[in-house]
Amino acid sequence: MTAEIRNDVIVATEHIKAPPEVVFPYFTDPALIVEWIGDRAELDPQPGGVFLLDMGEVVARGAYVTVEPPYRLVFSWGIPGSDALPPGRSTVEVVLTPDGDDTMVVLTHTDLPPTHIGNHRAGWEHRLGLLRREAG
Amino acid sequence: MTDLKPSASAATDAVLRALADPHRRQILRLVRHTELPAGQIAANFTLTQQAVSQHIGVLKQAGLLTERREGTRRLYALRHESLEPVRELLAEFWPDALSRLKKAVEAAHPRPPKR
Repeated sequence: MTAEIRNDVIVATEHIKAPPEVVFPYFTDPALIVEWIGDRAELDPQPGGVFLLDMGEVVARGAYVTVEPPYRLVFSWGIPGSDALPPGRSTVEVVLTPDGDDTMVVLTHTDLPPTHIGNHRAGWEHRLGLLRREAG
Repeated sequence: MTDLKPSASAATDAVLRALADPHRRQILRLVRHTELPAGQIAANFTLTQQAVSQHIGVLKQAGLLTERREGTRRLYALRHESLEPVRELLAEFWPDALSRLKKAVEAAHPRPPKR
């Protein structure tokens, strides 16, 4: 996995040993998405449908923009109550590209304002906490 | 709780703690593009000047603010480079999430070993 930031764009990639058909529902099915991000999810995977992830200390809220199973989806992403990053402010695009029987996941998070950094921290620390618990 | 990620150094921790408070984040927003004296920063808050001074102290301690004296006034501004480690942390948010996605998918859909 790799990541880079250019002009407030985050690009993250991951290689998964399963085909896109298997990976895609992990971005659209509430029961599957919480296996890797958030504690609770409300997802309505159609254009304009709600995308809500409760991550404990932080809630991310947006809407699906594009849903093209099993290769591509786009949703908006923001934090209710945040001036810097209100719901819908930033955009996450996920592209699943077949690689033999596997999938290359490329996730691009754009329109992230630099001032958002402080607000995102709680979510990240929460994640770090989870990682620590997993490691321990 | 001791196995911190390598990038979460003591300095980064201090920055994160400083950023945890909404008043301190507001102070940083005020001095993001301009230098301001403490009094003018305090004028934006309903807090006492003393409370604002304490917040400024925490931000200075964490390296988030520069301080410059001009006569009897002290002027404060955001030290932009101090946010770099935090940008790096933010950049780890999605990669960390995707590596958990990989784990979840591959655990639920194991492949028989290749011969």
